[in-house]
Amino acid sequence: MTNVDCDRLVDYLNGTLSEDEIEQFEEHVKTCTECQEIVEATGELPYLADPVEPPADMKARILSNVFEEKPEQNNPPAALNPAMSPIPLHRKKSKPNIWRPLIAAVLLASLLGNAYAFLQLSDQDDAPETAIESIELQPSEAFAGTATAEMIQEEGSLNLVVQANQLAELDAGQVYQVWLIKDDQPIPAGAFSPNPNGEGASYYQLEENLSEWDTIAITLEPETGNELPEGEIVMSAGI
Amino acid sequence: MEKSTDTSLYLRISEQDKAALEQLYDRYEKILFSFLYKMLEDRELAEEALQEVFIKIWRGKGVYDESKGKFTSWLFRMAQNTAIDLIRKRKKPTVPIEEAAQMASNDTPVDVQVEWQEKQEQIETAVQRLSTEQQKMIDLFYFKGHTHETIADMCDIPLGTVKSRIRLALKKLKTSLHGMQERGAYDD
Repeated sequence: MTNVDCDRLVDYLNGTLSEDEIEQFEEHVKTCTECQEIVEATGELPYLADPVEPPADMKARILSNVFEEKPEQNNPPAALNPAMSPIPLHRKKSKPNIWRPLIAAVLLASLLGNAYAFLQLSDQDDAPETAIESIELQPSEAFAGTATAEMIQEEGSLNLVVQANQLAELDAGQVYQVWLIKDDQPIPAGAFSPNPNGEGASYYQLEENLSEWDTIAITLEPETGNELPEGEIVMSAGI
Repeated sequence: MEKSTDTSLYLRISEQDKAALEQLYDRYEKILFSFLYKMLEDRELAEEALQEVFIKIWRGKGVYDESKGKFTSWLFRMAQNTAIDLIRKRKKPTVPIEEAAQMASNDTPVDVQVEWQEKQEQIETAVQRLSTEQQKMIDLFYFKGHTHETIADMCDIPLGTVKSRIRLALKKLKTSLHGMQERGAYDD
């Protein structure tokens, strides 16, 4: 393998060549049996993967997004069969808000569950404590998004619903993380990634009381599951 | 039942035949999703990568012709490259998520399952014939998408020899795969 082109085999397989270099290498492969055979053998490696069941609705999502990618085609973009509902994954397209029903459902469930408590509360009775606080979060400088937090205090637990709009698209792996803070001690309280309309929402339930916290903040984290904030605060508000 | 070859499906797709793309999708959804999941260790990312692959195919980005070898090699390479792009965008590797249940499939066509199983046995045997270090390098290079620098660090070998060692490992893999395939052909 003194051939310079053969040297590029590993880079080719590792996806580090430029488009021109890829073309050059593919020309080389046509005439170099050894590189050809190695490329083919490498093509067997994916079979090492253990079978993982894909999500049932993934096909509908992917195909509808794929076909939407080319609006100028002859046939109007349509789902392949009527059962397919086009839920976009990460494409910028105008689509129904998939979050709103979730938020509505969460709030409704919570509110219905508390309807009785509400009535009791208004009578100043000895009802379980229930309180709702709605908070507008303030974006930090250079951040265009907006968010509101609904904190619903039920008996012994606090439900936190955050809904955000006009969010910028995230890089892979990044996530908007919600934090509740008391005396500069944050705890993670839900996370979300924006949908294609730049909207995101999270729901989080915790055991503590509303009065335990003094600040709510949203940071842009490089990854999910951080126990302490690593990213910058993009929105926050006092409670 | 007459099965369309991958190449004929691909040709129909290049003429914007949606049904052909759907057929190709059905044929490779599970192996690609499983492969991408193995690389990315995240179901959402695997779905994102898979979508990207089919968008590339549909838009004719990256063109296949038979001079480039087997269709699956081309398809898998595109999937692998797409996953590597996602891996490199991500700052830290994520912790594997346990929720991704590995189940025996119900809706994958039997012939696809059988083919997969056969190929898996074959490639597993071939990989087992490599030295532990070579196996590790293939995993880091191919599945984890690490750069040469990282591999040099992780395997504790000089940076200058990483490429040639990977090539050697792949060459050995190729040789034992060939050996098996030829024996398989005689067995038939």
